[in-house]
Amino acid sequence: MIAVRDFTYTYPAAPRPALIDINLEIAPGQFVGVVGANGAGKSTLCYALSGFIPDFYRGDVKGSLSVAGRDLCKTPVAELAGEVGLVFANPFNQITGARFTVREELAFGLENLGRPRDEMVARVDEALRLTGLTELADRSPYALSGGQQQRVAIASVIVLRPKVLVLDEPTSQLDPVGAREVFETLDALTGEGATVILAEHKLEWIAAHADRVIALRGGRVAADGTPREVLADASAEELGLMPTRYTLAARLAATQGVVKRDGPLPVTLDEAREFFGGRQREGA
Amino acid sequence: MTNAFSLYTPRASALHRLHPLTMLALVVFCLVAGLALPGPWGPYVVFLLLILPLAALGQVLPNLLSTAVKIALPFAISVFLIQGLFWTGGTPVVELGPLSLKREGLWFAAQSTGRVLTVVSSFLLLSLTTRPDALMIALDQRGAPKTLTYIVLATIQIAPRFQAKARTILDAQRARGLETEGSVGRRVAALLPLVVPLVLGSIIDIEERAMALDARAFSRSGPKTSLLTLRDTSAQRAGRWLLLLGMIAVVALGIWLRRAA
Amino acid sequence: MQRSFNTLTLALIPVAIAINIAIGQIIVLLKLPVYLDSIGTVLVGLLAGPIAGLITGGLTNIIWGVSGLNPQYTPFFYVAAVIGLMAGIFARLGWARTIWMWALGGLITGVVAAIISAPTSAIVFGGVTGAGTDLIVAALRASGAGIMQATFGQGIVSDPLDKLATFVIVWLIVRALPLRLRVRFPNAEYLPK
Ligand SMILES: Nc1ncnc2c1ncn2[C@@H]1O[C@H](COP(=O)(O)OP(=O)(O)OP(=O)(O)O)[C@@H](O)[C@H]1O
Ligand SMILES: [Mg+2]
Repeated sequence: MIAVRDFTYTYPAAPRPALIDINLEIAPGQFVGVVGANGAGKSTLCYALSGFIPDFYRGDVKGSLSVAGRDLCKTPVAELAGEVGLVFANPFNQITGARFTVREELAFGLENLGRPRDEMVARVDEALRLTGLTELADRSPYALSGGQQQRVAIASVIVLRPKVLVLDEPTSQLDPVGAREVFETLDALTGEGATVILAEHKLEWIAAHADRVIALRGGRVAADGTPREVLADASAEELGLMPTRYTLAARLAATQGVVKRDGPLPVTLDEAREFFGGRQREGA
Repeated sequence: MTNAFSLYTPRASALHRLHPLTMLALVVFCLVAGLALPGPWGPYVVFLLLILPLAALGQVLPNLLSTAVKIALPFAISVFLIQGLFWTGGTPVVELGPLSLKREGLWFAAQSTGRVLTVVSSFLLLSLTTRPDALMIALDQRGAPKTLTYIVLATIQIAPRFQAKARTILDAQRARGLETEGSVGRRVAALLPLVVPLVLGSIIDIEERAMALDARAFSRSGPKTSLLTLRDTSAQRAGRWLLLLGMIAVVALGIWLRRAA
Repeated sequence: MQRSFNTLTLALIPVAIAINIAIGQIIVLLKLPVYLDSIGTVLVGLLAGPIAGLITGGLTNIIWGVSGLNPQYTPFFYVAAVIGLMAGIFARLGWARTIWMWALGGLITGVVAAIISAPTSAIVFGGVTGAGTDLIVAALRASGAGIMQATFGQGIVSDPLDKLATFVIVWLIVRALPLRLRVRFPNAEYLPK
């Protein structure tokens, strides 16, 4: 349902393109991790998939990018709010400040879409529940912790029921507790069957949750496959990706002859258990 | 409302229950009456007979009085001294060594103090009894631009955070020995390391703030709805029209009184 | 999308007003003979044009006052609006390209601010502010100046200096902004350097 064709993008006044010849198909309900070194183009891809490029950023676009048949390059981003949603790193900047309580902050997007009040109340309650914010609904969003604010940001986007939810390093400015809160929220959301695109440096979490990983380098897609195919591959380090501790342990064990196995190295705890010859968790 | 830049003080009062536009009309009436009525007595009549009783009704009298006095007192002292002592060609009433207080100057100072008091206390009455978000939403339900509502509400929520940030930077600068001596130019220049990072940082942030707005369909055209509902009554609607007529009447009265004098 | 300004300008305005207020209040604490409470306003004028500057200035004083925190500023909202408007016009004239023309713009804005604020200051506030600059009013009154002249005299001593400092600070800030951000503002082609 997401189709990117020969997509090349250059920011205004930039000397070279930030994305080059991107071709992608992303099926509905897929959970896609986007990885790569700093400056590889992860954020830029996120902005493109959520409609901010080119409408908001301007610049020069070649190729096409569509979600559910709708050409994102030809639609103003404000008209896309119910179709694609974007969450980014800084929680403070994502609180619009246009409303005084968490509940009203969540309703803000629905108000702008002109939804009837009854529907608004029901949808806000649901989004509060999904993000675990029900207790905080009547607090000021500014009085919350970073992790809670980030959940408010996620809730204000999912309340619009976008077909695609794009998150650009949503935990990079949070402390470990806040990061865990956000990841738990994402876990609950992916259970709901939404299409999620997550740019993230925390590869272990990606490895354990994503259906698919896209690695970028210098604005190009350098690898695309299952987490294990991309992250355990010997070339991953050239892409600026830190191998997971499972991969590192397995590689060390294999080179020192502790275990004798060929085939791909593990990237998650379950795969590591299997690799080291342990039993698969029952019913996992 | 500790998180917003506002003095709003929740109370279970009749004033707090009024529709925000009724409250606004009431306060504008006080303001217009205070400035329209002549002589030193005009503003004081409004202050004593209108603003103070209203504040009492709103259960915010102590808050209003203490803040109003704190703001008006430096003005009062300044204006009584300056205009009292240095009024050109006035009638001396009190001799103070080589100087003297002039009757006309004191008269003028009394009038200015009254006006300052009315202006300040009218705004205080509004802010103490009216939730700013309710006021803005009421205005935008009456067709004021959404952008205005956004600007006002976002400002009052981020201003306290900026003040805190500015304080932190200032304290850091002070700890490193901020230039407090020397010429004005030197001292202003010494402020640059305080001001520039604060402003630069916040300007860089606005890109993301704008994206958050667009992600919530803010700039979408078409009709919008509102979660917050405000209670209005036909009595209050009539009251607002009466206040509007009252403003015209009080301006006319003011002109007539000045003519008669 | 028929709107007077883009979302970036819209997001800039409340931040600029908060800057006016935060810095304005710090300066009061430091007892400097300048106000520096229009840095945000001039910044918006320069980056986003005269109308956005006007709105930023006017709303600064209205919000500052109606919030109950500084009610004495509200009657001067039109002065603040004119400052933003003038910054925007000078920017559109290309004066921000060099610091000298821009500083001149600051001085002119200060003179205009002194002229147009005097009547309100005299009529509503009896010509005083309750701050240190009242000594100037006192001196002028003592030497026989009328209330309006004395008020204007106070303004013409403090305003041009203040606006000069403000314009120069804003210019330095805008020059330090990353190019990728500068190109996104409506006034991109009129910015320094
Ligand atoms: N607004 C902009 N204008 C011009 N160039 C930009 C802009 N934003 C990013 N770039 C450039 O585009 C390239 C890709 O940047 P991008 O932010 O997408 O990388 P990233 O993978 O998200 O990096 P990080 O891990 O640091 O977030 C970089 O070379 C960057 O300098
Ligand atoms: Mg990034």
